[in-house]
Order: sequence, then C-alpha cells, then structure tokens
Amino acid sequence: MVKAVKGVVVECDSSVKMIILGLNEKGQFIIEDLDETHVFVDASCVDQLRLDIDEILNENTYKVEESK
Amino acid sequence: MDVTAQSHNFQRDSVSYIFGDHDYTWLPLKHDHESRPLWITEDGHIILEGFSPIAEKAIDFLITISEPVSRPSHIHEYKLTPYSLYAAVSVGLETEDIIEVLSRLSKVPVPESILGLIRDCTLSYGKVKLVLKHNRYFVESSHPEMLQKLLRDPVIRESRLVGDEDPNSNGALITGKAPNAKDLSIPGVKKDVPDPNRPANSTDGAAPGTAAQGDEGIFAVVGLDKDDDDVENDDVHSFEISSASVETVKKRCNELDYPMLEEYDFRNDTLNPDLEIDLKPITVIRPYQEKSLSKMFGNGRARSGIIVLPCGAGKTLVGITAACTVKKSTLVLCTSSVSVLQWKQQFLLWSNIKPHQIALFTSDQKEKFLGAAGIVISTYSMVANTRNRSHDSQKMMNFLKSREWGFLLLDEVHVVPANMFRKVLTTIAAHAKLGLTATLVREDEKIDDLNFLIGPKLYEANWMDLASKGHIANVQCAEVWCPMTPAFYREYLRESSRKRTLLYVMNPNKFQACQYLIRYHEERGDKIIVFSDNVYALVAYARKLEKPFIYGETSQQERVRILANFQYNPQINTIFLSKVGDTSIDLPEATCLIQVSSHYGSRRQEAQRLGRILRAKRRNDEGFNAFFYSLVSKDTQEMYYSTKRQQFLIDQGYAFKVITNLDGMDQQQDLVYSTPEEQLSLLNTVLLAQESEADLNDDVEPDADDLTGNTSRRSGAGGRSVFSQVGSSVAGGSSGARRTTGGLNSLSGGDQMAYIEYNKAVNLRDNKNKGERHTLFKKYYDAMPITLISLNNDEFKVDKEVAERSILIKNMLEDIGETDAPIPLPNVSSPVLSKVIEYCEYHRNDPIQTQDSPDDPRKRSNDIEEWDMKFMQVDQEMLFEVILAANYLDIKPLLDVGCKTVANIIKGKTPEEIRTAFNIVNDFTPEEEAQIKKENEWAEDR
Repeated sequence: MVKAVKGVVVECDSSVKMIILGLNEKGQFIIEDLDETHVFVDASCVDQLRLDIDEILNENTYKVEESK
Repeated sequence: MDVTAQSHNFQRDSVSYIFGDHDYTWLPLKHDHESRPLWITEDGHIILEGFSPIAEKAIDFLITISEPVSRPSHIHEYKLTPYSLYAAVSVGLETEDIIEVLSRLSKVPVPESILGLIRDCTLSYGKVKLVLKHNRYFVESSHPEMLQKLLRDPVIRESRLVGDEDPNSNGALITGKAPNAKDLSIPGVKKDVPDPNRPANSTDGAAPGTAAQGDEGIFAVVGLDKDDDDVENDDVHSFEISSASVETVKKRCNELDYPMLEEYDFRNDTLNPDLEIDLKPITVIRPYQEKSLSKMFGNGRARSGIIVLPCGAGKTLVGITAACTVKKSTLVLCTSSVSVLQWKQQFLLWSNIKPHQIALFTSDQKEKFLGAAGIVISTYSMVANTRNRSHDSQKMMNFLKSREWGFLLLDEVHVVPANMFRKVLTTIAAHAKLGLTATLVREDEKIDDLNFLIGPKLYEANWMDLASKGHIANVQCAEVWCPMTPAFYREYLRESSRKRTLLYVMNPNKFQACQYLIRYHEERGDKIIVFSDNVYALVAYARKLEKPFIYGETSQQERVRILANFQYNPQINTIFLSKVGDTSIDLPEATCLIQVSSHYGSRRQEAQRLGRILRAKRRNDEGFNAFFYSLVSKDTQEMYYSTKRQQFLIDQGYAFKVITNLDGMDQQQDLVYSTPEEQLSLLNTVLLAQESEADLNDDVEPDADDLTGNTSRRSGAGGRSVFSQVGSSVAGGSSGARRTTGGLNSLSGGDQMAYIEYNKAVNLRDNKNKGERHTLFKKYYDAMPITLISLNNDEFKVDKEVAERSILIKNMLEDIGETDAPIPLPNVSSPVLSKVIEYCEYHRNDPIQTQDSPDDPRKRSNDIEEWDMKFMQVDQEMLFEVILAANYLDIKPLLDVGCKTVANIIKGKTPEEIRTAFNIVNDFTPEEEAQIKKENEWAEDR
C-alpha cells in the first residue's frame, strides 16, 4: 500500500537551512534535503517550523538599545 | 510628563507612534522660524540645522553650553547637561546671556523647564573661583552676595585670612563693619587681560598669540549678544584663605553646592620659577587648536579642564602650546612608556626647550631635570603606584611630590580609572590641569567623574569639520557582511557561547574577504593594518595569508623589525596586529584598516583605531580616502557588537556603508579556503581548538582554572604514538594524517589507558564532594608527600603537586583517594625517575596541558625552552628512557620536549648519519635499498 505524505518545499538561505537541519534533529520532519537552499519538509510541520525558526532567528539578531 | 502631553493636545498623525514621547509637533513655531537654526525640546535636547547660514556661529555657542550627542553633516544634536552648563559658566558665560542667545536662535520658545535648568545650574556652578595669585589663595567671585553666603558658613569663615599685610587692606575695615560687607573688592583684576604685561608679546610665535586670540574667541562665542562684555568689566570680589585650608574650603563649597572653579594666575606667580620654553617660530598651530586653547586661557589665567580632539589632530601640540603659555614646571602623564618617549620627542620638535630640561620617569629611566624648572614626563601607573618601589623611583617620587607644579598635562584621560586619578591628583600639587583625549566615552559611564577630578570639558572638535578642512584624512567606513558558511553556521548554533566567538571569527568567507581586501588595497598602494583581538585568529590569519604579525608574545626586537619593515619596505604593505597595537606600540601610519575580530562593543577602541588612519600624510592629495573596514559574520552576535562599536563614529558624523557582497570577489582566483575540503579541515581545527582560545584577554596564557572544564572534552588524541609525534614535529606540525598504529602505545597496550582520561575528572569531583575533609586535615593531606617506588625498589618522596604533573599518578591518586601508600612504578628505573622528578619540580607551576591541539603554536616549532634544552642534554639511552617514561606517566610537556629533542637530532641528517646517531644497523640489501629510494624519491632533499 502506498503511503502519501504531503510536503512543502522550503526555500531559504544557507544559514536558515542550517537552523532547519538543526531542528530536524529533534523531530524528524524533513522528507528530502534537496540542495544548499532548498529543503522538502512535511506539510504538517510547517507552522511549527515557522515559529521555531522565528524564535531562533530572534535569538541571533541583535539590536542596539537606545544609549541614553 | 503626562500633564504636559495632555496640555499639548495636538493632532497625532500616522507616524506619530514612531516618535512616542519625542513627538514635538505641538511646539509652536515662531513666525520667523525659518531664519533660526535650532529647536529646543523639554528634555534638554537641542537639534540644529547644520545647513543654516548662521550654523557655524550657533555651533560655537552650542559646544560651549552643551554636549554634542551626534553630529552628522546636516542635522546636529546637542544636549544640555548640568556639566556642560558648568563648563559654559567656567568660560565666562552668564545665565541671562545663555538664555538670551538660546531664545534668539531657537525656532520655538525655550521651554520653561530648560530655563529652570539653566538658571539652577548656572547660579551655583562655577560662580566661585579659587584663584592662586602671588602664591596666596583667594576665593573670588563677581557676585558679592555669594561670598557673603559662603562666609556665613563657619568652616569657611575660620579659614579666612584677614592679614594686615594685605595690600588691599580693606580686610581690617571690613571685619570691623557689618558682616554683609565682608567682601574685598579688587577692581580691575581682569583689566590686564588684553595682555600688556605678557612677556614676549605677539612678535614671538604662536604661544602668546594664542591667549590674545583667546579673548577674541570668547567674544566670538558670545558675540551674538553685545552686552556680554560687562562680564569682563565687572568688579571681582574676593577674600583670602590660608593655603593650609584650601582642601577643606573646597570640600565645604562642594557641599554647599557652590563648586569652586580652579584658576591659576600663572603670570603673577612669582614663587615658582619660570621655565624657558616657547614654541619654535616655525610651529604653526591650526585654528581649532587655537580655539581650544582660547577656552583654556580665556581670561589670561589657566583653567583646568579637558580638551577633546580626534586622534591625529594634534592633541600633543595643543598640550605643548599650553605648556609654553604657562611657562612653569610641567608634569606630563601618559598611558605607556612608548608614549612617554613620543611626548619627549614632540616637545623637542615643536618647542625650543633644551633636552636637559626634560626628564623621563619610567620603569627604566629615572632622571631629574637640571635647573629650577623643567618638564617631567611619566606614566600614570608610575605615579599612582603605591606598592613597593625601588630606591631610585622612590627618590624620584619624593622629588615629584616635594615641589609645586605649574601645569599638569594628562594625556588620554579617558582610559585612566578614577581612583588612579585621585591618587595622582592628591600626590601631585599642580596649579592647572589639562586633560587631553579623543574619545570622551567609556563603556562604564565613569566619564562624569572626570568633570570633578579635572574640570569641565573646555572644547570638543567636530571630526567631520576637521576632515573637510583637511586637518585629518577623509575616511570611508564600511562594514563588510560575510555570510557564514553552512558548516560553520551549523556548529555555531550548536556551540557554547565562548566557542561561538571563534567560529564566527574563523569563518572562511571572512578569510576570503580579508584576503581580497588586502590584495585590492595592496594593488592600490595602500599600507594596511589588520586588527584582530583574538590571538588565535590573528595567528591563523597571518600564517594563512603569509603576512607578518605582532602580538603580546612577540619580542621587542621582532616588533621593531616588523614595524620598520612595514614603514619603509615597499614589499611589506600589510601587518597583522593584536590588541597590543592599541596601546603599547608606536604605530606607523596606514591608509587602510581592516578589523577581523574586535573586542566586544568598545566604542573607544574603534575610534582609537580609526585614529591610525586619520593622520595619513597623503590626506591632502586630491580625492584621497582612507579606508576602514570591519569584517562581520552575518547572522551572528558579531553584528551586534559591531553596531555598538560604530556608535561613536556615527555620532561623529561618519557613515558606515554596509557591503554585503564584495565586487569581483567571485572572479578572484586562488583565494584561501575556496574548496569545501579546506573549509572542513579549518572547521575541524577550530572545533579542536581550546575554548580558552576564544578569549580576548590580551595574549595571556590560559590559566590553570580554565583547563579543568576542558578535561572532559579531550579527544582520543591523547594516546598518540611517540613516533608519529616525532614525525609531525619534523614536518613542521602539519595537521595531516596521523598514524596511530604501530606506535609504542598500541604495541604495549597503552591505548587501553585512554579510559583513564575520560571520566576521571567527573569522578574526582564526586569524590571530593562526598569526602569533604575538614580544612585542618585538608591542608595536611595536600602537603603530604607522595612516595613513588621505582623499578629498582628505590623510594622517592615528592610533593603531591609535583607528582601530579604526571596524569597517570594524578588519576591514580584520584581513584584510590587520599592515601599514604607508596605508588609502585615498575616501568621506570631509578635514574630515569629522578630525572623525571627533576623536570616536574621545575615545571610544577606550569598550567597542566591537557588538550592536544595540533595547531598549538608551541607544537609547530621545534623550539625548546632553554632550561628544557639543558635538561635534555643527556646521553641517548637516557633520552629515550625519559621519553618512554614520560609517555607511560603521561606527562605531556615532557613527552613533547623529548620528541622535539629527537626531532632536532634527526633534522638535516642523511640516513647514514641517522643510522650512526641511533646505532641502527643497515639490514637492507642493496636491492631493497634502491627500491625504497625509488619509492621515496619525492622526499629526497636535492
């Protein structure tokens, strides 16, 4: 019996892709690692993935607070 | 704030939310606002239109009364602070004048709160002056009521001198009268300001000219308002106080909120001998230097304060000119012995002072000047040091303390901690103090202390202004964003924060960008300095790109040689510098600067570094630009630090361009680390590097504490074979393939010992926690010697500390716990063991080397420390025994030394010589030998 999984192609720059790969180590959701900037993931995980990436990106971006 | 916000009900529009409380749309504009250049807000910020026709005059006024916050080319921002108003008063501005001029320049009515602030601050600040005239101290003020107020204070009244010998002896008269007339008035004290009695008037160079200019400067500043002149004509009232009580009066006045301004009437000081010093006639000082000095000598006396000029704009000359104006004994303090020498040289260059009148006081030079007056140049730490001194420096110190100094010049005031200053200022009796700096910012916000310790900021130059007038070079600032390579970024996300630093600094893309920029600028004929605060990265970059580098451990001769080459040798156009380049090196000028890694977010350092390229001689060439690059790894913490660092320069009006892609870098051939394989091996090296390598502390060897945390990170490389080490030492430590089979370890089953290395540190911790001994006993146990038994059954007693140089014994002790049972070492004979113990005794205080990184610079070279070299001068048998013992006992440094010694013996010898050296019988048949020779032809040295 063939089992179909719905997937989504994610296009991103290479550093974000590294974040995705890192997340994948916790819960497997990558179906196929396509190339440097593309990855094919399980569609059901997309929303969660978005949140996770946002969170990590926030941790890694910095703003200079008003120095007053 | 709410009340005011409500009271100013106004239409909020679609962008109002961006400004929040800073929305000043409601401020009513004056009807002729277009011809007025500035806005004033309620919280003391002043926004100036830099393009207004009267902006230049307004700027002069604003830097007198407020502090510049940010000065890009078109819109400037200033802030009124109590300190800045204090400074304004000290140069002779009056409350009402400030308010008058402000409201004249402002597009909006000056807010009530600002008027209040100005009144509050100017009423109390700087109105009372402590003047030293004829070597008597006077408290002086143009406001008699203030003196009366002070005299009502019992402490001050007591210290007042009512001498009959007073020439203006109203003193007796006044005391006889009612207390409300207690002031002595000395009219016309200031009338001699337009220097008729100034020695060597205008004919002779710039120094006296400065002070004359000074008065004009002040008038120019307040010239917007004509009736300011009455300040000068005002009567000045004063009373005398005894010199012994100066300190108490000063303190008391501070408590009473009337801080006293210190002025030094150096022309009337007859007690301290004059110093024969003048600027050489050829010396020309620039307009802004003149202006800054005019603030200092505005009324013919020397004021204490701070002058802020960009690096390379001639701070030194300002200091020297000031000294030439005061013409008294001068003490110059700077930050390092290198700058001491520079100051001396500058003094000789610009002024006519005789060399014998300048004395240096540093750790290796302690001289006094000849004659009654002179100049002493020293460092802060020499003067502030309170610990034991050598006899010579104590004598010198007593000399410094024993006399009165006319003028104290403080170089780079911003770097010196406040408590050190206090010490200096209390030990040295100086009449006038001048601080010089380029960057009056500190990350710890201690800068305010300077206001009280030295005096107010007298002048701050505008960088952009100086650049446009050609006094300093035009600089193009750029931030180059280098994307992290995927592999590096993956590790970056995983690693601990300290290691992260190393990863983003060693980013291969950064390497390439750096190489590309160096190549590009070398072709243009630029001289390039590359800064890297991280020593690990510095060495890696410089080695890879084959450029000379200087860091903390570089010897003095080597430094001089490299710097001289950089300056004069057209072949050497690039040098790499660590943090030592910031302070302790007299850097030659450069025209291009690249920052690879930088110390967190220090704005001062950034500005100081920029100073290296500001003084470029070629700055006056048509269209000449100096370049300043910061290389930043994208998506990492570095972005944050970089932004923070730039803040100061941005406030000075510099624009940082962001470069995301270096044009033409793709077409470049032979860039380093261009293949994934190379990048991967770089990544491996970085990951193997010790965490402590990421530290930015200045080239200091990692201390022992750091290493305990690393023990668990040890890789299996601990069991490397002796012979592969010899091999890699000979080959210059290439991090290539490593042979582990066939090594002595594996043959003897030593590889199995690896188990010891992994979890013992954890066990140790547990043991210690469980069996915590009473401190009394702990001391006893720690001091208890360990007994070792050799192959020959001889007993050796050694300190625990010494025995633990051997990791084998250390782990063993941890395993069996505290014991006094002797430890048998059946593999080591007595003579060898005693030799090993000798080594351990000598090295007992070295940090324990646990991790085995192939890139350790010590391992790369075959250099052996002198002591070790001597230690290893034994016969070959012993040498090999010691190596075997070191391997068995797991004493890494000893093993290294032994292997290096062997390597040095082999180096440069033919196979025959090696055979004789090591007693190897040639058991090859001639055919076999020919065969081997053929196979290894490539290795032959022709």
